Amino acid sequence: MEKLIYLYGIIPAEENDSSPLPSLKGLDGESEVYSIPFGEIEAVVCELDAAEYGEKELEKKTNDANWLHQKAFHHHEALMKLYEKYPIIPMKFGTIYSGAESLKNTIDSHKPNMIELLDGITDKEEWIMKIYCEADKVKDAVAGHNETIETKKEEIASMSPGRQYLEKRKLNQLIDQEAEKEKQTFSEKIHDELAALSVDNEVKKNWNKDVTGRVEEMCWNSVYLLEKSAVEDFISVIKKLQEKWTESGWQIEVTGPWPSYHFAKIS
Amino acid sequence: MANGNSPQTTAQSSSLVDVLETVLDKGVVIAGDIRVGIADVELLSIKIRLIVASVDKAKEIGMDWWETDPYLNSQAAMQEQDKLKEENQMLLERLEKLEGKMADDSRLP
Repeated sequence: MEKLIYLYGIIPAEENDSSPLPSLKGLDGESEVYSIPFGEIEAVVCELDAAEYGEKELEKKTNDANWLHQKAFHHHEALMKLYEKYPIIPMKFGTIYSGAESLKNTIDSHKPNMIELLDGITDKEEWIMKIYCEADKVKDAVAGHNETIETKKEEIASMSPGRQYLEKRKLNQLIDQEAEKEKQTFSEKIHDELAALSVDNEVKKNWNKDVTGRVEEMCWNSVYLLEKSAVEDFISVIKKLQEKWTESGWQIEVTGPWPSYHFAKIS
Repeated sequence: MANGNSPQTTAQSSSLVDVLETVLDKGVVIAGDIRVGIADVELLSIKIRLIVASVDKAKEIGMDWWETDPYLNSQAAMQEQDKLKEENQMLLERLEKLEGKMADDSRLP
C-alpha cells in the first residue's frame, strides 16, 4: 500500500539549495521530514502509514483531545523550525494526500499562485496582539471618570431614599455598559495605531476565560502583517503602550513572528 | 518532538489558544485527499486546558488527581456559584420590576 503524504508547507526551491532542510521527525514521530521539488518550489512533507492515518483512523485520533494537542503542536513546531530558515506557505493542520501523484497534481494546479504568494510574504512577518483587561480596574476607572455617570450620580443624590436604591442599581448597569464601551474604544485605538504600521491586518475573535484560562478578560485579538523593516517600530510602540497602560489594568501582549498562517491565502 | 515531549505542552494557556486557533483554524487550505474533522477550537482549548491542568497537578502533588483535583473541583464549584449568581440576578431584576411598578402605582392619584 502506498504511503500517505502529510504536507507541512511550501518553500522556495532556491532557498533549500543554499540551506538544507533541518532534521525533523514526521507527524508519527518516526518518519523523516523531507522535501519534494516541483521546479521553483518545494513541498515539505512526511510519510504516514495509510493503515494508521486513513480517514477512519484519523477521525478516531482527532477526537482524542490529547492526541490533537500533541500533533497540532508538532505541526506548529515543525513549521516554526522551517520558518527560521525559509519563507514558507504554512498549510493548515491535517493536509494529507493519498500519494505522490495526487500531491503533484494539487501542487501543479496551484503553482503560479504559490510562487506569487511566497514572493509576497518573503520580507514580511506576522504578529499577533491581544489585549486583556482587569475588568474591575476598568469599571472603577469608568465609574470615577465618566461624564454620563457623573451626571447620573448627581441626579441620584437629589432623589428620595426609596428611589435612590433603584436608581443606584440602574446606575450600576450603566457603569457596566460604559465599561464595555471603554474596552472597545480603548482597544480600537491601539489597533488603529498598530494597523497603521502594517501591510495588512485582521481582527479576530475574543476568547472567553474558559478558553484562555486567565483571570483577565480578553478584549481584543488581532493579527498584523508587517514589513520586516517595520517590526522594530511595531515592537517599540507596543512597549510604550505597555508602559503607559499596564498600571491601569490593560495588558497588551504580542507574539511573533509567526509563519503567515493568516495572510497566506490560496483561492 | 512528536513523542509527547513538546516543550509547549505545559506552556501558558494563552500560547495554547494561539497555536490552536492558528494551526487548526488558519493556515493555507488546499484540498487534501483525507478529510480531517477537527472539533471546535473553543471546546478543544477548554478540553486540553483541563487535561494539561490535571496532568500538571497530578505531577505536582503526586496523587490521583481524578478524585482530588482541586482544579476540577473548583471549576465545578465556580459553575455552581455562577448558577447561584445568575439566579440571584434574575430574582433581583424581578424584585426591581415589582418595586418599580409599586413606586409608579403609588404615584397615581
